[in-house]
Amino acid sequence: MTIATGPWYRRWPLLLAYACVAVLLLYALFPVVWMVTTAFKPTPEIRTADPTFVPSRITLEHFGLVLGQSNFLVYVRNSLLVATTVTAATLIVSTLAGYAFSRFGHLRGITLAGAGLVLGQLVPGVLLVVPLYITMNNLGLLDNLWSLILTYTTFSVPLSTLMLKGFFDQVPTEVEEAAQLDGCPPSQVVWRIVLPLAVPGLLTTALYAFVQSWNEFLFGYTFISQDDRRTMTPGLADFIGLWTVDWGALMAAASLAVLPVTLAYLYLQRYLISGIATGATKG
Amino acid sequence: MGIDAAQQVGTKGEARARVPPALRLPRGVARYGYVYLFMLPAVLLLLGLTVWPLLRTFWLSVQDVNLVRPGSEFVGLANFREQLGDRTLFWPAAWHSLVWTVGSVAGEYLLGLGAAVLLNQPLRGRGLVRMLVLIPWTVPIVIAAMTWRWILQPEFGIGNVLLVRAGLLAEPVYWLGDLSTALGTTIFVNVWRSFPFFAITLLAALQAVPKELLEAAAIDGANPWQRFWKITLPHLKGVSLALIVLHVVWTFNNVEFIWLLTEGGPLHASETLATLVYRLAFRTFEISEAASLSVMMIAVLLGVGAGYLALGRRRRG
Repeated sequence: MTIATGPWYRRWPLLLAYACVAVLLLYALFPVVWMVTTAFKPTPEIRTADPTFVPSRITLEHFGLVLGQSNFLVYVRNSLLVATTVTAATLIVSTLAGYAFSRFGHLRGITLAGAGLVLGQLVPGVLLVVPLYITMNNLGLLDNLWSLILTYTTFSVPLSTLMLKGFFDQVPTEVEEAAQLDGCPPSQVVWRIVLPLAVPGLLTTALYAFVQSWNEFLFGYTFISQDDRRTMTPGLADFIGLWTVDWGALMAAASLAVLPVTLAYLYLQRYLISGIATGATKG
Repeated sequence: MGIDAAQQVGTKGEARARVPPALRLPRGVARYGYVYLFMLPAVLLLLGLTVWPLLRTFWLSVQDVNLVRPGSEFVGLANFREQLGDRTLFWPAAWHSLVWTVGSVAGEYLLGLGAAVLLNQPLRGRGLVRMLVLIPWTVPIVIAAMTWRWILQPEFGIGNVLLVRAGLLAEPVYWLGDLSTALGTTIFVNVWRSFPFFAITLLAALQAVPKELLEAAAIDGANPWQRFWKITLPHLKGVSLALIVLHVVWTFNNVEFIWLLTEGGPLHASETLATLVYRLAFRTFEISEAASLSVMMIAVLLGVGAGYLALGRRRRG
């Protein structure tokens, strides 16, 4: 790429490219940066027609309000409960199904079930929220976290099963055969040999299920109306109504809520990007 | 299942070899029974919480049910006729759905493609930029909505402040609360949120374009524009189509984003079919109307799916 060297006026396409990248980053990141900035600003500097980018002093009063005087931590606790249960349930169900799919995919019944899973993945939430609400009502699970646990697990199982099938496909059966030749009893083979080899797949699936469940809004908002039982995303939505003018507190709550997702993402981003990329080139 | 076994031993010997010997049970009853047991939890969840509710929706759409009063009665296609004849809510919502979906996906695709082309250039720090660009997509929708509502706030929002200071606006605009700008603004925020997914996926596809083709074309004298249009873009067709169809479906069905930004307001200015279903069911408790609307949405989605399959077949054929 000879453009990288040479006199500056020849390099203008490259400089233009860097300028475009700067604009792109600004566009993508400014809202998030502004949110965090606002969270640390004292209220007079927020409610002004003449805001600045850098606060004159940093204050933690909004965070104090959110953590001390609201149900924010309760919401987080509920979300944690739901998300961890959903992750565990999804792992169990998807590992079983994914393994069956991978090793026994030639059986007609299995392929049928698999096709059903793929189709099930495509059903959108809004079409299910009405009948599922009625179902949960009939089961007496409204305002109960189990309604969310069941729903979220159902939503993450199809994709998780397919992901785990892909990971199991990459574990050759010869490994299982060799283990048995070495005297490993059949019942132990899956547990001791196959699963440890599929750990990256299990991790990715677990994180996917967790993030899906953590971020979900519509069903959490619809199934649970009691404030004590709310999960985090609907809880945050309630804040908008509760604190219509306290933008500092709102932004503080938002900043706190973004944290776990960002941390999870920073860990996952390698798999995420390569996963999306492989999907793209295969598709 | 006996036939399965016979087939495998005969012509499909490899299939039999794929089954790990550790799990080959002795011949007998239910040779593969336990495998179906493995699939059972997943299938049960799917049947119980996806198939059954969908069936119930169909049933509800031809009944007259209201959550507030008990009982139901069969009314045939009355709900559908009522929706299609509704000038105040249904047809405007249908139009908004169209604008919302097409506007969002078009914006996301174009911006994503531009970003992908940009990131495909040999620039320093590409990996970092790629990671940072994905951030809008990872932010939970609630938080994105809250933050943008703050930015677009008419009195103190930084968006208006900057636009007025730059001279582009005479005075602040109530972007999300004004009849004429509400829908467009929600589309804008949606594009911000979703374009990274397009960017990353298209970038991967761009990197898969065979370099030899581009080099050969360059040697033959094609300029960058021609190389892009004639070689690169055609290679992106498959990925682009899949991306677009997926996002059309997702955008069409999306309730959260619009609900959190405007709740379909002001005065239904940003109401789409999806938000209308939610409103009918959970604000006015007209379950049957919501169900009939859902069935119509399913029909639209099936049409899109069929269109995608047909397009795929024509491409391959």
